[in-house]
Amino acid sequence: APGFSSEKQLTFNVDHGYLEGLVRGMKAGILTSTDYHNLAQCDTLEDMKLHLQSTDYGKLLSSSEEDLTVSLVDSKLRANLVTEFSCLRSNALPPLSTFLDYITYSYMIDNVVMLITGALKQRDVAELLPRCHPLGAFDQMAAVGIARTPTELYSAILVDTPLAPFFQDAVSESNLDEMEAEILRNKLYKAYIESFHSFCKNIGGVTADIMCPVLEFEADRRTFIITVNSFGTELSGADKSALYPSCGKLYPEGLRLLAKAEDHEQVKAVANCYPEYKLIFDDPEPGADFKTLEDRFFEQEVKLNMLAFLQQFHFGVFYSYVKLKEQESRNIVWIAECVTQRQKSKIHNYIPIFPGTH
Amino acid sequence: MSSLLRGEEMCLAQLFLQSGSAYDCISELGELGLVEFRDLNPSVTAFQRKHVNEIKKCEEMERILGYLLREVKKADISLPERDVNPVAPLPKHVMAIMEQLQRLEVELGEVTRNKEKLQRNLLELTEYTHMLRITRKFVQRTAEVSVSLYMFSCLVKIEAFERMLWRVCKGYTILSYAEVEEYLENPDTGEPTKCVVFLISYWGDQIGQKVKKICDCYHCHVYPYPSSNEERNDVVEGLRTRIQDLHTVLNRTEDYLRQVLIKASESVYTWVIQVKKMKAIYYILNLCSFDVTNKCLIAEVWCPVNDIPTLRRALEEGSRKSGATVPSFVNRIPTSDTPPTLIKTNKFTSGFQNIVDAYGVGSYREVNPAPFTIITFPFLFAVMFGDLGHGVIMAVFAAWMVLCENNRKLKNTRNEIWNTFFEGRYIILMMGLFSIYTGLIYNDCFSKSLNIFGSGWSVKAMGWTKEQWENNRFLTLDPNVTGVFKGPYPLGIDPIWNLASNRLTFLNSYKMKMSVILGIIHMSFGVILSTYNYLHFRKKYNLYLVFLPELLFLLCLFGYLVFMILYKWLAFSAKDSRHAPSILIHFINMFLMQGDGLQPLYPGQTGLQIFLVVIAVLSVPVLLLGKPVYLYWLHNGSHRLGLYRGYERVRRNSEEELYLMRAHDMEEGSSHSDLSSSGENPTEELLHQAIHTIEYCLGCVSNTASYLRLWALSLAHAQLSEVLWAMVMRVGLRMDSTLGVLFLVPVFGLFAVLTVSILLVMEGLSAFLHALRLHWVEFQNKFYGGTGVKFCPFAFSLLPSSFEHDGLL
Repeated sequence: APGFSSEKQLTFNVDHGYLEGLVRGMKAGILTSTDYHNLAQCDTLEDMKLHLQSTDYGKLLSSSEEDLTVSLVDSKLRANLVTEFSCLRSNALPPLSTFLDYITYSYMIDNVVMLITGALKQRDVAELLPRCHPLGAFDQMAAVGIARTPTELYSAILVDTPLAPFFQDAVSESNLDEMEAEILRNKLYKAYIESFHSFCKNIGGVTADIMCPVLEFEADRRTFIITVNSFGTELSGADKSALYPSCGKLYPEGLRLLAKAEDHEQVKAVANCYPEYKLIFDDPEPGADFKTLEDRFFEQEVKLNMLAFLQQFHFGVFYSYVKLKEQESRNIVWIAECVTQRQKSKIHNYIPIFPGTH
Repeated sequence: MSSLLRGEEMCLAQLFLQSGSAYDCISELGELGLVEFRDLNPSVTAFQRKHVNEIKKCEEMERILGYLLREVKKADISLPERDVNPVAPLPKHVMAIMEQLQRLEVELGEVTRNKEKLQRNLLELTEYTHMLRITRKFVQRTAEVSVSLYMFSCLVKIEAFERMLWRVCKGYTILSYAEVEEYLENPDTGEPTKCVVFLISYWGDQIGQKVKKICDCYHCHVYPYPSSNEERNDVVEGLRTRIQDLHTVLNRTEDYLRQVLIKASESVYTWVIQVKKMKAIYYILNLCSFDVTNKCLIAEVWCPVNDIPTLRRALEEGSRKSGATVPSFVNRIPTSDTPPTLIKTNKFTSGFQNIVDAYGVGSYREVNPAPFTIITFPFLFAVMFGDLGHGVIMAVFAAWMVLCENNRKLKNTRNEIWNTFFEGRYIILMMGLFSIYTGLIYNDCFSKSLNIFGSGWSVKAMGWTKEQWENNRFLTLDPNVTGVFKGPYPLGIDPIWNLASNRLTFLNSYKMKMSVILGIIHMSFGVILSTYNYLHFRKKYNLYLVFLPELLFLLCLFGYLVFMILYKWLAFSAKDSRHAPSILIHFINMFLMQGDGLQPLYPGQTGLQIFLVVIAVLSVPVLLLGKPVYLYWLHNGSHRLGLYRGYERVRRNSEEELYLMRAHDMEEGSSHSDLSSSGENPTEELLHQAIHTIEYCLGCVSNTASYLRLWALSLAHAQLSEVLWAMVMRVGLRMDSTLGVLFLVPVFGLFAVLTVSILLVMEGLSAFLHALRLHWVEFQNKFYGGTGVKFCPFAFSLLPSSFEHDGLL
């Protein structure tokens, strides 16, 4: 009811006002198009470091003794995001704290699958752990490799973690191989995103208004990506539809059609029924740069996340900030890669955030 | 004085620096802090500039210095005195510093790594001994069941660990654990942590693999388990000797580390300053541009005209030091840009200048309110804070700060609140002194009056009988009876008022009228100051079209009010006080243009009042329309001016001539440009003037009322201090037994604390704020634009150090 939500808005600042202000302040530090323009002109990583010094990143890159490499840049940026996030998390009160925890679960899922595939390839845990995303770190992480089947994984290792509820549909006795790990990831993710979606819906108010479209988009993006990636595998239509998150805009008709899709054209035909996805699958205009499907989805995601900052008194800004900051890290790493590999022609393929601001 | 009133005259100058001596010249200028550099390559990004490599090198040195400082701080070694101010190192000496720093870093790094390794080693051995000691008990219990045994020791979330172990191994393990009583230092964080020792017995290799993995996951340290008691004793013995050896080695390493750090700490401060200066010089060099021949650098600077000789000398000195054959030189260039504002201050005036700057930095060459603020600010404060005793305390406190201002401890503290007071010590001193003065005038000292000269009133002369004394609670002194009133008290308020029951009525009337009088004087003064701006900027028409109507409006209405107040004070004495008229009624009647029923104050009052109101009303349309109409007329009717401007445009090529003409322009003030900008848009000008007129006319009423805060705060302060006396001190003084003396000690303590905390600090802050408002709003809006840009000279002393910010220095 509108009355209920406005009352929530009235009292929002009591518990979460400080953190919202904080996150909006941090958002002001997101690199602008001028920054990207300057970064793209750099000839070496040292130049990039010099330019990043004049932004909110400050001395982030210059404080280390080691020589700059792209992976060092990446890990520093990641560490920076984690510092900011843990500052927010440690100051958060419920239900914001739960909301923030939900953000970390997707990283936990990725970490679990990464560790399983690593263990399958006989990699050492000590080598794998640094590659895990620190936002999704949890105590039992190092023991993941012990498990042989999803059931064992659940009952022995992950039952104490927040991921446990997402295992409802994922338990099976089949041996974990790479395919099975990927299926496990998607099943967990489906359960996760549906749970997150209903959590946001229960919070209601502006949070639901902002977060539901974002999460629906996320669900649909996964659906499309699963479909496109399943071409040429032995995954049946029923298998696929078990992986599709059911909280998106594609549900139910679009999911049914996608499960049957066999090639790119059929996927495109489905997307054409939905105006927001039609754009993504449209053929690029002649003369425009070719962009991968992934990049187009990222672009759309950035647009959605920017909208979150137009309204006040909701949790969406926290989610959007993390996602935008992640995109920013991807952009910087992309530019850094191009700089080190002398691929100046591709340097402009990053995805600008807040293109209008200076 | 003229510089304090208007700020320094500035000019734009070009410096031609020979590339060989540029570094030394800029270093010289940085020491002096004379000029502000302009960026001549704004389109070039930071990493594309010329000296980017040198700056990177400086940053690398800063990083090493930061590392050194952190290590020095960690080792708790104090840095030596910081009186040194080394000049920036020559470029050829930089490599030597760099090498020294790098050597130090490598050495320190090695020693620290060694130390850490030894510490880790020691920790492991300590863990092992603890474990062997504690697990002795476990073994006796589990000896029969064990197939193979492993031991682990570390801090761990033991419940979670146990649960996972049980789940994974399905119960084929036996776990026994105990806490170590001592706290062991965690090698990663350096904090003491509680550790747990445990022993796991399990069957089979497969489970062993899993157990090991789980232990890895929980960062447990695994130690081999001695199979027999003898072996155990041997191991314990061996451990003991190894721990002792390690301790000696560790001590040696620490000693060595300390020596290295002490050696480094001796010169680290010099290096910090040198690197800071060097980085700043290269940063400035990046702002300069090259001339065509690439042999000399061109820099553009803002510089006070008076300092140009000093600037020349500095450049000569720089050239001499670098041994350049061609000297560097200065060249004044004409400009139409507005220069930054520089007002030179000393330690006394800087506080007052800061008060003004907090509102807005003055426009270039505008009248600066600060010199007047030096007197008016403490005075208006004191009007609200009028108490002799409180003033003395405040003045003594400020005088102590002033006397100890060179004390390093007071100056360099990090306490922000203290720094605020310390920076404003001269303001506080002035405020204290003025409060003593107003306290004397109010005759108020901790809410009591001083009877220094003897009261001018005599009670005896009233000739009251004993009966009258006893039957009346209130008796009235009548000044009309001969001998009762012998004449006014020589300084301020007569002390007898302190006893009178109608004291408040008397003081209120006095303070209210005084506030209005002070306010009108203050505001008129502000309006008069605006003439200085009009005359200086060659806008004489503003004198007649803005200043005159403004002053007439203010004086005809509110100036007349002041006149009436003074007239009433002078014209009516105790004898005819019953006929004294109400000024308020007369003032209202002045606007209504009636008042036939009232006795006039003086002959011809009605006529004069009508005349004044008519003048005031007439000055409003003049203020509203005069300036825009005049400018419009000037723009449309003066073609000569246009011709002159055309001439300027045609001859733009000849730079020298342009310079001469610009100089001519500047002598005449900026009137031409002003005319061209305002004349082109008469409606805009009209709108501005309309807003200004409305603001001014309404402001005269509201600002006058605003000055009544002087009365209100002064009243509040006096009442509060009286309440404090009556509620606290008097209670202590009433006890007349010997115990009362003892009782008086805590009571006085309470009185003193409350006096300082409430009356001095809180009331002082509130009076300060109100005085600030009266200056910013009521006074400065009459003449002060405050839209300038502050001059920030390039000076090494003003450069912040990132180390200070991080608390390392």
